[in-house]
Amino acid sequence: MKNKCTFFSLFTTLLNFCVSSAELTVLILPQNLQKLRASMDKQCSQEEEEEEEEEKMDDDSENSQLLQLMARHTQLKDLLHAHHIIGTMFKYQGKGLCASLTTAYEGVYLETYNVEIDLKPRLRISRHNVPPFIPLSSLAEQSNMQTDIRSFLDTLSKHLNAFAGRKQQLKLVKELHKSVEVLESNVLCSVLVMLLTLPGEKSTVLCTLNYTDHTRLLPSGVHFECKDKALPDAPEWKKNCSLLMETPVHKALMTMKKNETIL
Amino acid sequence: MGESVKTLLQRLVRRIPSEVLKTTLDKWGRLTAQQQRALDLTQPKWTLMENLWAICEENEWTLKRITELEMIYVIENPDQGMWYAYQLLDPEDDAHCVELIQFKELFRYHLRELVRHVSVKVKKHTDEAVWIRIAWGDSFSRPNHLKPTYVVHYLQTPYVFVTSLTSKHRPLLSQALVLSTRYQTLKDANLSGRKLTAIRDLLMRQYQQVFPTKCPSPLAEKNHPALKKEQDGNAANRRRMATEAFGDGTLPQLQTAVYKLETKFKDPTNRTMSDREEPFRCVVKFSSTNLLESLRDCASSGFASTPVTPLLSSISLKGKNYFVVTDNDPGALSQTRRPQN
Repeated sequence: MKNKCTFFSLFTTLLNFCVSSAELTVLILPQNLQKLRASMDKQCSQEEEEEEEEEKMDDDSENSQLLQLMARHTQLKDLLHAHHIIGTMFKYQGKGLCASLTTAYEGVYLETYNVEIDLKPRLRISRHNVPPFIPLSSLAEQSNMQTDIRSFLDTLSKHLNAFAGRKQQLKLVKELHKSVEVLESNVLCSVLVMLLTLPGEKSTVLCTLNYTDHTRLLPSGVHFECKDKALPDAPEWKKNCSLLMETPVHKALMTMKKNETIL
Repeated sequence: MGESVKTLLQRLVRRIPSEVLKTTLDKWGRLTAQQQRALDLTQPKWTLMENLWAICEENEWTLKRITELEMIYVIENPDQGMWYAYQLLDPEDDAHCVELIQFKELFRYHLRELVRHVSVKVKKHTDEAVWIRIAWGDSFSRPNHLKPTYVVHYLQTPYVFVTSLTSKHRPLLSQALVLSTRYQTLKDANLSGRKLTAIRDLLMRQYQQVFPTKCPSPLAEKNHPALKKEQDGNAANRRRMATEAFGDGTLPQLQTAVYKLETKFKDPTNRTMSDREEPFRCVVKFSSTNLLESLRDCASSGFASTPVTPLLSSISLKGKNYFVVTDNDPGALSQTRRPQN
């Protein structure tokens, strides 16, 4: 897979370069996070094409080189199970490390967040630019950062990516759907209240989306309010409800417009 | 009632600069097109006031309308007066899902439980900030609209920004906030300044922080796969450390940093002072039109030593500008409640 080849060759280049300067930088490109994780776990045995056969051989020799280099940095051995940590970049400076978490949504790279962690005397977050509505210290506690940095960074990455994705969805709603009025949102993008206009009588429906699971891009609750009390139970609106629960809001609204349930 | 409306309007007209008055009135949208045309904003303030008062009587504006105008002016021009940051601590389980209507209702309810006569106005701004205007009364007197407190809070963050709050009213506001945001306590965040936007940006981390990551972003990486080693000269090194400590580009505009020293006097050449048992209490205050940029310049020019001392870098790192320094750990800083008026 092209992605994997890029990753490994880049990784080796960086590792070779950085070892000499007593610093260690690991860069993993966050293409499609989930896909890449899954493919990293498999051992390329499913690849059929010759080109990929060659790449696989390169990967193997690069792999062994990598492992040797990794072994030289015992403190980071755990962290450097790089195929589990995607979308994260580290810099090790002797006293601490700086994790860079890049967020992306629908193929668009969004904000990068950085967390500096001091290693001695115990793991402690020093500087960071994570916004205050992401509960960094309680995430560190809950995921046992002291014993498992990987789990902490994984969890943090999930929260940040989900937030960035929800924020992007809100931006797209405002850009693509001028007929929809956004009445309420918040900095965490965990609540969205929109005023939808019905075709014909031009009456409106108040639509509330609650994203209670902050690691998700989709809402956990959808609620409609309308002067016509029977509307939310109508079959097409029940469909709209499922649509909003299962598809990103900007896409769901597009479908609802196509179905002519809203303007 | 009419008197107090007039007084408030007078104060407002005096306070708002003429150039800003037009936009404020437009945003307010309470003047008819005809009244807007009739109002000549180039006139001296006292004439303007008379005309506005005439319109006020014509439209039968109440105190409520005028406070609306004042709120719009303050929201659009927040960088005046003195703002203090507070931090909410120990969230309850449902703190992260408090939404606007719930917050508004709870806040009004709890404040009214605590203060018999109080006037509360809550307005959500486009940047997700919830603005609250409070005119305080007590058991015997009506709310005083000439000395309102303004509070700014972003839901799902632990920070609250306040201006014009007396120590008498502070526990009441604190209680109402804590109950409506579903946290357990509110404490002084030891950050203050004349610009709300500055202290907000510092705490919300909305400025350009610099981290020790040499690798380019994924997009740049696609174009320049080869990494070049930076030539770290002394000047470049100092600049790097200065920007890592304070940030890059335009920094939040703080005006002061105060260090209350409770450390023992240390000077081997001055035995009289250094032999004393008690700490040498003094207060060191740094002032500047833009303190963080000044400190950054000091560090990158070599005027202040690098790496930047934690005493200075803590301003950005911890988002505070009031510190109490004790002997326990000279590099670390503890905080106690800062005196306020």
